[in-house]
Amino acid sequence: MGLLALGTALEWPEAKKKAGQVRQWGIEQLLANWRRARGKERDALLWGDEVEYLVVALDDETKKARLSLAQAEILKSLARDEALWKAGGTEQGGNGDHDGEDPPHFHPEFGRFMLEATPGRPWGIGFKDLLKVESNMKWRREVAKAHMAPNESPITLTTFPRLGTKDDYIQPYYPPSGPALRSQFVPDEIANPHIRFPTLAANIRTRRGRKVELNVPVFKDINTPSPFKDPTVNYDLHKWPEDADVRNGAAKDDHVYMDAMAFGMGSCCLQITFQAKNIPEGRKLYDQLSPLGPILLALTAATPIYKGFLVDTDVRWNQIGNAVDDRTPEELGEAPLKNDRWRIPKSRYASNSTYISQDPRLRKEYLDPDLVVDEDIKKKLMDGGMDDQLATHFAHLFIRDPLVIFSEDLEELDLNKGDHFENLQSTNWQHMRFKPPPSDKDDIGWRVEFRSMEIQITDFENAAFSIFVVLITRAILSFNLNFYLPIPRTTENMETAHARNAVLDQKFYFRKDPFAERTPRNAQHSSNGSTFSSTTSSAVNTPPPSPPLGPVESEYELMTISEIINGCSDGGFPGLIPLVESYLNSVNVDVETRCFLATYLDLIRKRADGTLWTGARWIREFVTKHPSYKQDSVVSEEITYDLVKAVEEMTAKEGKNGSIGWELLRGKKN
Amino acid sequence: MKLILSTSNLMQGGRPSVIRQPLTQKSNIELITSLRSNFLASQQFQGNGTESRANGHTNGDANGNANGTSSDLKHHQDHRSWTGNAAGDLYIPAIDFSQPGLSEERDQYDITVKLFYLPGIPASRRCAHTREAIDLVLKELHVKSIDLLIVSFPGILFDADDDSEDEDNEASTGEPADDFDSMVQTWRVLESLHEQGMIAQLGVAEFGSERLARFLPHTKVKPSVDQINLKDCCVVPKSLILYAKEEKIQLLTHNDCNDILPVGTTRELLGPGERGAGILASTPEGSDGIQGDVEPQWVVKYTAVVKDRGVVENKGYFALADVGTCVKNRS
Repeated sequence: MGLLALGTALEWPEAKKKAGQVRQWGIEQLLANWRRARGKERDALLWGDEVEYLVVALDDETKKARLSLAQAEILKSLARDEALWKAGGTEQGGNGDHDGEDPPHFHPEFGRFMLEATPGRPWGIGFKDLLKVESNMKWRREVAKAHMAPNESPITLTTFPRLGTKDDYIQPYYPPSGPALRSQFVPDEIANPHIRFPTLAANIRTRRGRKVELNVPVFKDINTPSPFKDPTVNYDLHKWPEDADVRNGAAKDDHVYMDAMAFGMGSCCLQITFQAKNIPEGRKLYDQLSPLGPILLALTAATPIYKGFLVDTDVRWNQIGNAVDDRTPEELGEAPLKNDRWRIPKSRYASNSTYISQDPRLRKEYLDPDLVVDEDIKKKLMDGGMDDQLATHFAHLFIRDPLVIFSEDLEELDLNKGDHFENLQSTNWQHMRFKPPPSDKDDIGWRVEFRSMEIQITDFENAAFSIFVVLITRAILSFNLNFYLPIPRTTENMETAHARNAVLDQKFYFRKDPFAERTPRNAQHSSNGSTFSSTTSSAVNTPPPSPPLGPVESEYELMTISEIINGCSDGGFPGLIPLVESYLNSVNVDVETRCFLATYLDLIRKRADGTLWTGARWIREFVTKHPSYKQDSVVSEEITYDLVKAVEEMTAKEGKNGSIGWELLRGKKN
Repeated sequence: MKLILSTSNLMQGGRPSVIRQPLTQKSNIELITSLRSNFLASQQFQGNGTESRANGHTNGDANGNANGTSSDLKHHQDHRSWTGNAAGDLYIPAIDFSQPGLSEERDQYDITVKLFYLPGIPASRRCAHTREAIDLVLKELHVKSIDLLIVSFPGILFDADDDSEDEDNEASTGEPADDFDSMVQTWRVLESLHEQGMIAQLGVAEFGSERLARFLPHTKVKPSVDQINLKDCCVVPKSLILYAKEEKIQLLTHNDCNDILPVGTTRELLGPGERGAGILASTPEGSDGIQGDVEPQWVVKYTAVVKDRGVVENKGYFALADVGTCVKNRS
């Protein structure tokens, strides 16, 4: 998560006054950096995965699982070891299997019960590197565990099932209703105590004018009351003005209600960042990966429980979107525009709204008609030499206010830094992120981050999905694939991905034909290894298409996840897995690597066709088959304890030989 | 007359190179589909004049069919408009070798070439064939050398089950002794190209540990790669794994079939039929195209991969077939 500089964080009324200045300085920094790095060429493919963990503490005697708020101590202890390792002292984790690998990096996250771990060094495309990913992820888990109390462990559930319940689900226990979050369910201590985080939460709430509001439809089981009125909501609290939110209808019938940033930003994700060879390649990958975001979200679905109830959605995405939604009633369209500048259709955390590649295949019809752009900022960027499309992208991100401003940073503008730019960039949590090189590092190139995937319970799955996405990027670049879809369709797909069992039951908009039409070699102009046919109504270049293209609507159709992943049987979309395999057939892969990759691709193929379950389905089945479950949607402390135990066992045994979790990992009991 | 068939860069040909089939199943679908698709695209391009591009949609399905929307076009069209003639060789389609090959400098790439010697073609021709094939690839990619040449000998089939420790499995592969000698002879040619710096590394395909053990003592330049096809990807005979490791031979996977371009397929591909290019006659004696027997000689596949980015920038095939009444004697 972003930057952790220290200083005096401004409260919202003060921060708001400085918002314009931070935006202006951010744009200056962006332009300076863009001028410096726009010509970067031939950067290698380097990529990294980010795995996020919940730290749980188990009490075997009372059969309770709690979240541990020990993040700071664990990180301190990890940092000590990393320093020792660097000094050539001990070998971290003491594992000889990782000779030559740098020790993993650990980072704080919003939740004080969370950890994030990244590989010590980014991965390359060398196939040997791909083989190391899974074992490195396991190593990270071991290292993290070695720095925890004996009853604590890192698990990779997206959310803790009983976060925000009435019982003591955190250790140490703090009562809810603190000044920063003002939540009636979680204490301020749930968040990382670094001033950035409580300030972020408080400023989102203040800017918004009320608490954030998360209403997740409850899963209606046979004994679930109807209408379901969230029994954990307290309507009689009078400590903070925001306590009135629920009396004003914030908690909806038939929904589980939550009221704090921690319910969203306390979720664990699996994010992949790639370095592109240059700006054009980065812009292309940003665009082409964008339509895949909702597909991979549905395929990695792992979030069926909130605040002690089974819910009717399978993924975390919108909950995070709502948990950091700082839009005012005017921006939301609930009140006439008076003080604010525009209505904004999406939260800061949402599916992305721009295409940025200067690709002649990008038709203007694909662009988001509801895109909000700060025209002054766009003009400033274009005056500075940036092209229309990229300027539009950043001028769109910069419609937001900076949320956390340190007064010390406003004294002097340093064009060799990127702090003000990053202030806006890193609090635009869209499902794709286009990342300029850090201003102070010459050896890092333009990067693209793919952010929609849910964390998986085992590292086998996390490695499989990470590597799958990496291989898709190679197939996109090698075959010059075209996944362009109108942005509003991707926005809709993101909603569709939330439905319970969307992976099997829902259909998603997807482009039917990802290939360029073949041009005879005499008509090819091969530059940078990419050739485009001339038949495009380009959003970039103006020449009229000849012959005219068909309507955009004829380019895509509704497909199941299996059709998108495995291919349509009728000769339609070829399928992402066949595309990846065709790519692998075109490169030299050694036998061992190919076997490894085959098991990963097999997992994804079978998740898509239903042979294997998603994490969400497995968790649902675990709860509903638990002997103490009362068919009333309630996920009790006992069930939670057993679930966490089962997850720990699955992480270790990975469903082998009929062990727990075989339904989502192996598909057969032996 | 020599016919030189080419696919051009099939990474940009799209669909023909993406085939929905079990990963480990061997086939020549990629070659046949991409040849057909390249022929069709060239015909349409010429048919519509050079100003506007073809509006026919080139599609290959999983069976290797290429369906052009203007499929009857080719039957009314003289193939001379889209093929090229140079020194008595017919290029199908015509190739403009002045087009740039690769977009970046040579050292950014790993260039792998796989040469298929075809069944029934005398081993005595392999020296000339090897030069011919490599020259075409070098010309196409505008490079002076390749990084890896893998040769596929006809009739050799790696079978995980057969590669036992049993010393006496010669009979099961049914390989006559003179073929072994011819492989060694062929290897001499490759070694000399290696010495000239034209090929950095050499490789073989479908060799089991037995065959490798027999072959290695006869080589000056050892194969650094053995390319095998695995029905079930994760069953590799332990003997082969151990032997390869000991001899520092990398085991790579592939899914090409051995008899990659049979005579019948070639005639269908180039003949006057519905799915043909309208160049050859329907039978050796026919009058609906070039007369005579057709005999495919070799096929070569080339791949250029940008090393540190794993991007396949250029991939294609050349195939050479002799046609006419003067097809060389097989002895």
